[in-house]
Amino acid sequence: MLLRAHNLSKSFGTLPALQQVSLSVHAGEVVGLAGQNGSGKSVLLSLLAGLTVPDTGELTIDSTLVRWPFAARPFGIEVIHQYPDLADGLDVGSNLFLGNEIAWPGPSAWLKIPHRRRTDEAASALLARLDLDTLSPREKVSNLSAEQRQLVAIARAMSRPARLIIIDQPTPLLGYAAQQKLQELVQEWQRQGVAVLFASDNLDHLFAVSDRMLVLRAGRVVGERRTDATSREELVEMMVSAADRQQLTPTIWALDSYYQAREQAEQLQAQERLLQRDLMAQGTLNRELVERLAEQVTALDRANASLQDAQRRLLTEREEERKHLSRELHDVVIQDLLSLNYQLEEMASRDDLDESARDDVDDVRSSIRALVSDLRHICGSLRPPTIDSLGLGAAIQSFTREWAERTGVAVQLEIDPALGRLPEAIELSVFRMVQEGLSNVRKHAQASTVSITLKHTTPRMLLVALADDGRGLPQGTDLATLASEGHYGLLGISERVALLGGRLSLQNQRSGGLHLRAEIPHPRVL
Amino acid sequence: MEKVVLPGAAEAAPAQRPQLPRLGWRNLVRRQELVVVALLLLGSAFLSLQTESFLTERNLLNITRNFSWIAIATLGQCLIIIIRGIDLSAGAVMALAGLVSGLCMQAGLPVPLAILAGLVSGSAIGFANGMLVARVGLPPLLVTLATMGIARGLTLGLTEGTPVRELPPAFRSLGQAEVSLGLVSLPLSFICMVLMGLLVWLLLQRTVLGRYIYTLGNNERALLVVGVPTHRLKVLVYTLGGMLTALGGMLMTAQVGVAAPTAAIGYELDIIAAAVIGGASFFGGEGGAGGAILGAALMQVLRTGLVLLGVPVQWQAVALGAMILLVTLLDAWRRRRVGR
Repeated sequence: MLLRAHNLSKSFGTLPALQQVSLSVHAGEVVGLAGQNGSGKSVLLSLLAGLTVPDTGELTIDSTLVRWPFAARPFGIEVIHQYPDLADGLDVGSNLFLGNEIAWPGPSAWLKIPHRRRTDEAASALLARLDLDTLSPREKVSNLSAEQRQLVAIARAMSRPARLIIIDQPTPLLGYAAQQKLQELVQEWQRQGVAVLFASDNLDHLFAVSDRMLVLRAGRVVGERRTDATSREELVEMMVSAADRQQLTPTIWALDSYYQAREQAEQLQAQERLLQRDLMAQGTLNRELVERLAEQVTALDRANASLQDAQRRLLTEREEERKHLSRELHDVVIQDLLSLNYQLEEMASRDDLDESARDDVDDVRSSIRALVSDLRHICGSLRPPTIDSLGLGAAIQSFTREWAERTGVAVQLEIDPALGRLPEAIELSVFRMVQEGLSNVRKHAQASTVSITLKHTTPRMLLVALADDGRGLPQGTDLATLASEGHYGLLGISERVALLGGRLSLQNQRSGGLHLRAEIPHPRVL
Repeated sequence: MEKVVLPGAAEAAPAQRPQLPRLGWRNLVRRQELVVVALLLLGSAFLSLQTESFLTERNLLNITRNFSWIAIATLGQCLIIIIRGIDLSAGAVMALAGLVSGLCMQAGLPVPLAILAGLVSGSAIGFANGMLVARVGLPPLLVTLATMGIARGLTLGLTEGTPVRELPPAFRSLGQAEVSLGLVSLPLSFICMVLMGLLVWLLLQRTVLGRYIYTLGNNERALLVVGVPTHRLKVLVYTLGGMLTALGGMLMTAQVGVAAPTAAIGYELDIIAAAVIGGASFFGGEGGAGGAILGAALMQVLRTGLVLLGVPVQWQAVALGAMILLVTLLDAWRRRRVGR
C-alpha cells in the first residue's frame, strides 16, 4: 500500500469541503477521481500533496504516519496542479529543476552554484518528451502561454523519479493535442509501475487510462468502481445526486454531448491548424506554379513575336523580290522583246522580202505582242504597277477591272474616297488579301458577283470586306481544316491580318455566299 | 494512439531570443541602481560646487566611513525585504550588538570573542524574528516591532542606562583605522562593507539559495510545490539579516568609540529607506546587494550635504523624507515606462 488516507475532513469557515474521505492507492495503479466542479477533488489532492492541512483525519505513506504540512517530493510523490505554480522570475530550465538543482559541487545544498549547461541539456531532453522542442530552456516562464506553463509543470513532475504522480485536472489549460499527450504519459507511467491519481471532470479521459475510479460528490466519496465493471451512466448517476433521479437522463445527455462537443471542437481546432499549415504550403506551391506559368507565357509571347517578325520580314522580302522581278521583266525582257519586234518590223518593211516571209514575220510579231501582253499581266500581278505611284485604291481598281474581264464575275467596288496613302506594308498586304480573296472566289465559290468594300470604320481602323453570292464555306469548316486540306488562300489572309494586328471574321451570309471581314489598325500617314 | 504534433504549442513558443542583456535606454532605466547612481553623482556635483568642504579628502573619508556600517545593515534589511518581510528591529539590534560586545570586552573577553558574541546576539534576535514569522505565521511588521522593543529594552537593562566607554583600541580600530592600498588609503570599515556586499551579491546571484530567496519573494507556492522548506528559508534569511545588522552595529560602535544604549535610535527607518531606494520592493522578489549599498550611499551623501549646507537638524528629516518620496515616485514612473 503506497498511500492510505483515512477519514480526511476539511472545512473552509463553515463550509465543509471534504467530509470523512478515505482512499488508498496501491503501487503502480491508476486511480481516477471523478466529480463535478466543487465536489472537493482539488482540496483532497491538495491535502494529499501536503500543502493543505486537514481538520481531522490521517494519512500514511509507506505505512508511515505523516504530519501536515509536509513536502510530497521526498516521498516520491509528484503533483501536477490544476494551475501550475512556477517561479516567474526564473527561466524554464531553472523551473524544471527547482528544488532539485543540477549544480556544481558545493559546501551545502543551498550554497551550491547551478550548472547552467547541464541544466539546459537535461531540460531540453524533458521538453522534447512533451514535443516542446521549440521552447528554449532559457526562456523566462513569464513569457509562456498558459498551456506551455502547464506543460512545463508536467515536465517538472518528470524531472525526478516518482512512485506516485497526482494529477489535478490540468486539462482546462491544455489543448486537445496536449491532452492526448498527457494520456499517453499516464499510460507510460502505468507501464513503468508508477502509480497515478488522476482527477478530472472528463469521464472519457478517466475511462481511457484508469484501473479504478472514485466518485466524489459534495465532499464525500459516494462510490468506487473498477473501470471495466462500470459505465458512464452509472458514474454520472453517482456524480450528480441520486435524489434528482428524474433529472438524471437529461443531465447525462447534457454531459455527454458537452464532452463530445468539446472534444470535437478541440479535434477540429487541431485539424484546422494542420489544415491551415497545409493550405499555406499549398498556397506557396500554387504561387510557384502560377509564376512558372507566367514565365512560360512570356517566353511563348516572345517566341510568337519573333516568329511574327520573321514572317513580316519574309513577306516584305518577298514583296521586294517580286518588285525587283517585275521591274526586271518590265525594264529588260519586255523592252528587249519590243526592240525585237521593232527590228522585225524593220525587216518586214524591206523590199527584198517575199510575201510568205513577210506573213511569217507578221506572225512572229503578233506572237511577240501577245507575249509582251502576257508578261505585262505577270508583272502586274507580281507587283501591282499602280500601287507605288497611285496607291492602294487605284491598284485595287485596276486589278479588279482586269480580274472581272478575265473571269467574267461582276465586281462591285466600294472604296472610301478619303482612303489616302497607307504604309507600304499595309497597302501591299491589303492588296494581296484582295487578290487572294478573289482568287478564292474564282476557284471555289462559283459566284456571279463579288462586292469589295474598303473603308475606315474609325480613323485608325481600316475595314476590308469581301462578300460573294457563291456557295459559302462548307458547314463546320475552320481555318485548321482548310489548311489540312491544302487550301491556303483563306489561311494566308488570316495570317496577314494577324501580322498586322487586326481581326478577321469569316461567316456565311444568309443568302449563301461567304462574307469576309478584316479590320486592320494602322497609323495614318498624313 | 495516433501521434499528434502540438501545432499550437509549437507556434505559440516565442522565438528563441538571445538572453544576453542588450544595451539600450530601456535596459538602463530598468535598473534602479542606475537611477540612484545618477542621483548620487548629481548630488555630489551640486554639493562640490555649493560647499567648499564637501570635496575634501577628510569629508569623503568620513562619508565612506559613516555609510559603511549603514550599508552593511542595509544589506541585511534588503535580504529580508526581498522575501516580502521587513525588519523594524534593525536599529535596536545595532545598539544591542555593539553593547554586548562592549560589555564582553569590559568583562575582559578577547576582542574576537566579543565580536562573536555581538554577532550571536544579532543573529539570535534575527532567528527569533524568523521563527515567529515563519513558524507561528505572525506578520513581520508586528513581530519586529516587538523585538525592537525587546532589544532596546535589553540594551537599557544591561547597562542601566550608562554607556560603555572604555573600548580596547584593537576594537576601535575596526571603525577608525585606515588601510593603505597603494595610492589611496581606505577606512577598514569600508573594505569590510565591500567584502560583505560581494558576499551577499554572490549569495543572491549565483547560489541556489539566492534563487530560492528571490522565488520566495515572488511566489512562495512555487517553492512549496517542489518541496523546498520555505520555513527554514525564512528563518535563515531573518537570521542572516540580524547578523549583518549586528556587524553594522559593531562597526558603528567601534567608530564612535562608545557603546551607548540609546545609539542608533530610528536608524531602522533610514536603513529601510536605503534598501527601498536601492531597488528593493515591498512586493518582494526585487532588490540586490549593489542597490542596497548605493541606496545607503545616497542617503549618507544627502545627510552630510544637509549638514554642510547648514540646514537645521529639525528640517533634515523633512528633506530625507522628501528624498524617499522622490525616489519612490521615480521608481513608479520607471516601472510604468518599462512595463509598457
